[in-house]
Amino acid sequence: MILVRRRAGGVPTGPARVARTRTHELTPGDRVLQWVSGIAATIPLAGILFITTILVVWAIPAIIYSGFTVFTSDKFFIGNFYNPNFSSVNGVVAPYGANYGALTFIIGTLSSSLIALVLAVPISVGGVLMLSEWIPRQLEGPLSTFLELLAGIPSVVFGFWGLTVFGPFLGAHVFPALSHLGVVLPFFKGSWAYNGQGLLTASLVLTLMIIPIIASTTRQLVKRVPVLASEGALALGMTKYEMVRVVTIPYVRTGIIASALLGWGRALGETIAVLLIIGMANNPPVNIYGTTSTLASTIADELDSALSDGTGMAVRAMAMLGLLLLTMSLITNLTGRLIVRRISSDALPVGRGV
Amino acid sequence: MNVRRHASIGFAVIAGAVLVSACGSTSTVAPATSAPSSSSASASSSPTAMAVQTGNPAGPQTLSEAGSSLLYPYLQKLAPGINSAFANITLTPAAGGSGTGQSEALSGTIDMGGSDAYLSAAQVSANPGALNIPIAVSAQAVNYNLAGFPNLKLSGTVLAQIYQGTIKVWNDPAIAALNTGATLPATPIIPIRRSDSSGDTFIFTSFLSATNPTWSSGPSFGTTVSWPTVASELTAAGNPAMVDTLHSTPGGIAYVGISVEGAALVDGLGEAELENASGSYVQPDSTTITAAVTAGATNVPASLAASLIYETGAQAYPIVNFEYLIINPSKITSSDTALAIRTFIEWAISPTGGATADNLSAVQFVPLPSNVIPLVNTAVAQITG
Repeated sequence: MILVRRRAGGVPTGPARVARTRTHELTPGDRVLQWVSGIAATIPLAGILFITTILVVWAIPAIIYSGFTVFTSDKFFIGNFYNPNFSSVNGVVAPYGANYGALTFIIGTLSSSLIALVLAVPISVGGVLMLSEWIPRQLEGPLSTFLELLAGIPSVVFGFWGLTVFGPFLGAHVFPALSHLGVVLPFFKGSWAYNGQGLLTASLVLTLMIIPIIASTTRQLVKRVPVLASEGALALGMTKYEMVRVVTIPYVRTGIIASALLGWGRALGETIAVLLIIGMANNPPVNIYGTTSTLASTIADELDSALSDGTGMAVRAMAMLGLLLLTMSLITNLTGRLIVRRISSDALPVGRGV
Repeated sequence: MNVRRHASIGFAVIAGAVLVSACGSTSTVAPATSAPSSSSASASSSPTAMAVQTGNPAGPQTLSEAGSSLLYPYLQKLAPGINSAFANITLTPAAGGSGTGQSEALSGTIDMGGSDAYLSAAQVSANPGALNIPIAVSAQAVNYNLAGFPNLKLSGTVLAQIYQGTIKVWNDPAIAALNTGATLPATPIIPIRRSDSSGDTFIFTSFLSATNPTWSSGPSFGTTVSWPTVASELTAAGNPAMVDTLHSTPGGIAYVGISVEGAALVDGLGEAELENASGSYVQPDSTTITAAVTAGATNVPASLAASLIYETGAQAYPIVNFEYLIINPSKITSSDTALAIRTFIEWAISPTGGATADNLSAVQFVPLPSNVIPLVNTAVAQITG
């Protein structure tokens, strides 16, 4: 959000910075505020450092055990705890047959979140432009309230709905039609689970979950487009479509990218809804409908089993999956910031077109 | 978890303070020595039982339990009973999964961990003295969604081949051979398995391992196994979701804990008659489960880590298991807590205490066989705090 505010307008929005006061002039109230805000500012940073450190320390034995097979093996197995034998790799002992290859989960996480992102961005942006430019003012309020209500639905409800209603509906009525499209679009070919469990259903539910994130940010941005610029465009004889294309979209573009990244982060880490819908198969999806699992849902699903591992290595493998997820979120976030920095400038971005 | 640990420590301190004050004010309560010797032996249910010291602790004791979601409803039924039988004992059961129960009990975060599976050898060697104490017997049904065939006969080796993907349709010759006279449809079989870590997976895969050598040397058994990849397979998290998924999946087959069996049958799903080690086909009910336990109880080791899977006997149902409380005596520091745990377990397994027909039948469990009780008593006596 900070990012959006700073970049979108290029104009500082906060009050002008007050000249630094000398220490002896501080009242007790000032000191309290200084301490409280200092502590408050430290907590998020300390939290991230703490979590990262713990994850790294916990994951080290599992990383030593797995080496590069984490990225090359798609057969994750926490091992047979009741076998009298153990597997030992690089001096680390794990339950018999343990293999912590995470390729399945990396593929599952990336594919489900990217499909969701590709669908959610145009829907959100299109919907918001519709709301702000074409829908009558009286309807805009209620409709955008609905949009924000969507953000308030707990993810377990999405998961339950996807498992019991949406998935079976897709499996029975939508996927058969989609698979006929396979003649033109080959990636729609293939078979699907009867109850719709799988990658595409999970991605569609994720789409619904991240639309409010992208849309509400976009709506705030569209509202901030200077009236002068947009009315100027109309006054120059542009149609509304041209005005949106030339003024509104360039103005909000960087903000949309930033909000899309927020949505992507949500989709990467979404746990319970994905767990219920994606099928939790221990293999990469065989086609766009295929069952698979993600990093987050696997941690939630297998942690209880991992806890009963006498060697303790399975819990460390879970920490390794957590570390992978954290790294993935960080990379997407940083890449996004880089993109935003590259394409934005302090000048009013009007007129560059789409 | 830490919060809970601190809370329980805090409580132990409070309880200790209450105990001291109780001793100070009255002299009728048992002295607070390291081995409280209350005379009440109300719970020893077998004449051959080793004398286990039980009784109402001098001060209030809260026993924390977490773990198996299959055992949880049963412990909820027992909680009011133990409190009215022994006013100073309060049981606070929680669910969370067998793995949670095992690890939290071993680490001492909770007093007792509920588990459908006994501890593995690696866990016992990492936690010397840790105990698996069975308090009841549970079972598992195999249900399927195939209209017109309410009671098909199935065997463990056929189930193993279904979950390996080598038997793909309901009219496969292997299934037809078990059900002579039935004209089975060519509906594809959709195996449904638990995605989450589960005691049900543990006993189901134990059954497959006992009956099918390929399964035994491949996925083997555990709360999570490396399931063979079957294209049509579906997954569900939790027993209720297994029933839901099966209900919406014609041709599906699923393993379901006995405590939610009622829901499966109300839904009109079929319940398999499973082939037992003596070659007869049985469905789970109190008679067949008891027959399996009676047969299995003859070879229960002192560690109580016993499988009741695939027992011999014409009536014996093949997928039966002990429901365990996992206890790590080395983490129990208070002798009063130890007394409360001993008292609770002895009361819970007594037919005049917690193991009443009403309590057990509510979750379709059956009581422990009489020849296991002395082994339980020996184990319980090791909880001294």
